[in-house]
Amino acid sequence: MSVRYLSGTSLFFLCVLVSGCGAQVQNTSDAPQVQFQRQQFQRPENCLPCHQRQYNELHSSVKSGYRNVSPLFNGLEAAANLVNGGLLRPVYKDSTVVLPDGTPLNTNMYSSPVLTETRQVQAAFCLTCHNANTEILGENTAFREVPQLPGFLASFRPEIFRPLRDYHLADANGNQLLPAAPGGDPPAGAQPSLGAAGITCDFCHDENGPDLNRSFQMDGFANTSLLLNQSNAKVGPFAFPVAVKNHFHVVSNDPNLIGFLRAGAFCNACHDVRVPRRNLTAEEHNMNPGGQNVSYFRLENLSTEWQVGPYNSTTNPFGTVVRCQDCHMSLFPYAGTSTYPVGDMTVTSPTPGVFATDYAAVPGVSTDQDASLPQRKVVEHYFTGVDVPMASPDELSARLGPGYPDPYATGTDSHGVPLGLATRRHNLLDAAVRISLNKTDTSAQLGQKFSVRLEAVSLTGHRFPAGFSQERTTYVQLSVTDNSGFVLYQSGYEVDKPHPNTGELAPDGNLDDEDLEHLHAVVDPGKHTPTYSTGTGTNGGNNLVFETGPDDGPDARVYVGAPEGLVLFRNELIHIFLPGDPIGRTSAAGAPVKAQGVHFEETFQAALADSVDNFRSLQPLHPRTYTYEIQLPTQQQLQTIGVTIQGPLHVHAQVNYEHFPPLFLRFLAGVTGPSGPTGNNLNLVDEARIDTFLKNIEDIASDDTTVTVTP
Amino acid sequence: MKLIYRYTFLILLTLVLMLIAVFAQNVTYTPGEFQTSNPYYPKADPFYFEGKIDWNLLGITQPQNAWDFLQRGIHFQDDLNDTPDAINDYQTSLSMNSIQSGTCQIVTLATVQSWNGTPPAQLTPAPCMFTVRLRLGYLLEQTNTSRAIQLFQEVLQIDPQRLGVNTLIAETYVIEAQQSTDPTTQQQAYANAVSAFQAELALSPVTSQSTALTADSANNSKVHWELAQVYQATGQNGLAASELQSYLQATQWHSDVYPWRIALAKSQIQTLQPQLKVK
Repeated sequence: MSVRYLSGTSLFFLCVLVSGCGAQVQNTSDAPQVQFQRQQFQRPENCLPCHQRQYNELHSSVKSGYRNVSPLFNGLEAAANLVNGGLLRPVYKDSTVVLPDGTPLNTNMYSSPVLTETRQVQAAFCLTCHNANTEILGENTAFREVPQLPGFLASFRPEIFRPLRDYHLADANGNQLLPAAPGGDPPAGAQPSLGAAGITCDFCHDENGPDLNRSFQMDGFANTSLLLNQSNAKVGPFAFPVAVKNHFHVVSNDPNLIGFLRAGAFCNACHDVRVPRRNLTAEEHNMNPGGQNVSYFRLENLSTEWQVGPYNSTTNPFGTVVRCQDCHMSLFPYAGTSTYPVGDMTVTSPTPGVFATDYAAVPGVSTDQDASLPQRKVVEHYFTGVDVPMASPDELSARLGPGYPDPYATGTDSHGVPLGLATRRHNLLDAAVRISLNKTDTSAQLGQKFSVRLEAVSLTGHRFPAGFSQERTTYVQLSVTDNSGFVLYQSGYEVDKPHPNTGELAPDGNLDDEDLEHLHAVVDPGKHTPTYSTGTGTNGGNNLVFETGPDDGPDARVYVGAPEGLVLFRNELIHIFLPGDPIGRTSAAGAPVKAQGVHFEETFQAALADSVDNFRSLQPLHPRTYTYEIQLPTQQQLQTIGVTIQGPLHVHAQVNYEHFPPLFLRFLAGVTGPSGPTGNNLNLVDEARIDTFLKNIEDIASDDTTVTVTP
Repeated sequence: MKLIYRYTFLILLTLVLMLIAVFAQNVTYTPGEFQTSNPYYPKADPFYFEGKIDWNLLGITQPQNAWDFLQRGIHFQDDLNDTPDAINDYQTSLSMNSIQSGTCQIVTLATVQSWNGTPPAQLTPAPCMFTVRLRLGYLLEQTNTSRAIQLFQEVLQIDPQRLGVNTLIAETYVIEAQQSTDPTTQQQAYANAVSAFQAELALSPVTSQSTALTADSANNSKVHWELAQVYQATGQNGLAASELQSYLQATQWHSDVYPWRIALAKSQIQTLQPQLKVK
């Protein structure tokens, strides 16, 4: 009996033990059920009467409004759908799509309880972070803005494919209005829909904590891993909020939700981007139970970079954690400066974490029984980053409503912050990086080599550049001249040239639309065909031209270790062609070129990347030195061209910033243009837009030194 | 009977302690905990991450495999300016990723066809890396030209279409020619350099399509310039002038990091072959 008892008990415990060993995840209770009154997602205008200042600030940020009508975002989303057969568009619960294994696909990235199929992650992959509210509302056909496509993969029909922004228009009664043709102008009477507002007040203030089960690592990073309430309970930053007039909403007292809103962790849900595609150099899988088949790669790591970086600790120059909010929602960079050592450099930069004192709501109209409001430390809602709209004020107003803020406005607000987004962006960039030439050789000799050593350090909370860092073009422009200005060496330079692929047949006098000279690439824009098939064959994405330029530095420095050429902090997307794969180009004889070995090549189409090098950007507070080994001409060579060098030599270095490489924009122009796979002009990007709106921000940091020269 | 109960109690106590020990070892994942493994250490799937990851992020205390040694070598070379230790680590890396000893493999069309459309998670032996070969070859260019050329040629075995590798081979042959005092060796080295430069140009040819897209009538100014220098060194003035012409065409829309070379090329063309009209 005792033995039986013992055996049974042991068996029971062993079972527990075994099940404990096998379990990778502890059960977690569901989020608390919301007890507050249900409230539909509100238009931001509904918050305006009581929160005028916050509304105005958010209205002028790219996060709200612009991002959804952005020709670049729309172009990128379109290009990815065109190459993969529409898989990035949402499906909803009424979907009849069936996965290859026979299971129905009727949940998207936000509505899937656990992401067990790659198709679920793909469904609304872009829309989920850019417009989660719209996606949630779309489960009800009466509120659905972005429809499910009538066909995917081989059934995808590019000729009826519309950019997302087509769907964000409504008439005065709120009924959806579509442009007459895909990508057409807004119809008469069109107003911005709720979806046009993008990240609204409600998106953040409806938060109900992180949704750990939606993130691949169960850490709340990426995939919009955020629980959202549709209730009148709004989460604000204050522990003792004042009651709201007419109970338009109530204010949460939950310290956990308040703490989450105020934390850097709140931003993690969208500011890491993990793409559901196999990475051939870094294996990662969804670790949720049942999610093992979903592999992904880390495209954007901004949040991770902050999480593991020095600003999420006290070992930084400010001795305290510096959160996302301390730079992007504070008076930064307009609240004084600090001077501190970084490595062997001493730098001066704006001080983070300084907030204005103001009312959080409009006094006299916003509180129950007109209770008085205290003035408190308040945040700015500009969310300034590195983008500025690539659209005219007229175009913005046509899609986002009359009076859309002018990104180039002058003047300052009541807190002393510039009203114009372009100015705020420029000032933010000015605070991002510092360089020094102090380690450069002090003397040089004609006919010999000498070394310029450039030390660079990022002062940002994440790497710099961050986010879509494979396109954010940050680089060093460096020149060596003699005392009379004769140029002996240049790097990070641009040359005005024609661009026949987008109709610019002669140089146009504009350098901002030129690529850097480290490589020459033209990306295949694809072409329309009567029958559709997925892949790059007719949908573009591969490099039609791919050549090494005279300023080759990025790859030479990384792969060869050569101390020469362009210093480019832009990260790199890489497509790995396997032997036998067509690489997109033709030989001199006109035959398709196929990869003969395993061929790594930079790609500008993120949907084709299967390896990502996110380590070319600068780590925060981690100085890195780049050497330029420069060959000086001989005395004889100089005599041949009739030049006499006058010492000393002047070395000038400056960091410039361009938000996208022109060749990438020209790819978007082609792939969304009338000759592209849809056969329609989606009116997103063209040469005129590139020429007008692509601005190179020069000299966000600089340094100079002199070098004596001997014959 | 008491004894049996005592044993039962002891066994149960042992099991409970085992349970506590198992769960205390953090085998379970606590939701909300930040990544359990280092997100900056890529697990090859099936190819190695080629390139450089910041050494301080990798968390490697003692390199264990070819990739670890490559990364530490890069750290020595780029961050500490320590070339001898970089070379040592690259050599150790190569000893673990060697074509000759079969510790790495060249992935071919036949290899890929055996995968039935899906690359496996791992390859045995591991794929051959190109970064370590390029970096070590570059550091040996001046001191051991034959070894450097061998390493660059191994990269071409891995990926015959990788840009810049033929140029490195050509440049190493030029160094070999310059270092040699034997005219025959010099002549052969220069001839090999010419072949390698031409192989580089062939990888990104100017075609009617590329000209229509870019307006470029020549490309790769660096190769044309260096090829012209080889022709001048070997007294082939006509060929040198022709390469300088191509150099000028290639710089038309791209200039050069050494812009004075453009004026020099124009002047040299007139000297080398006065009848040639400078474009």
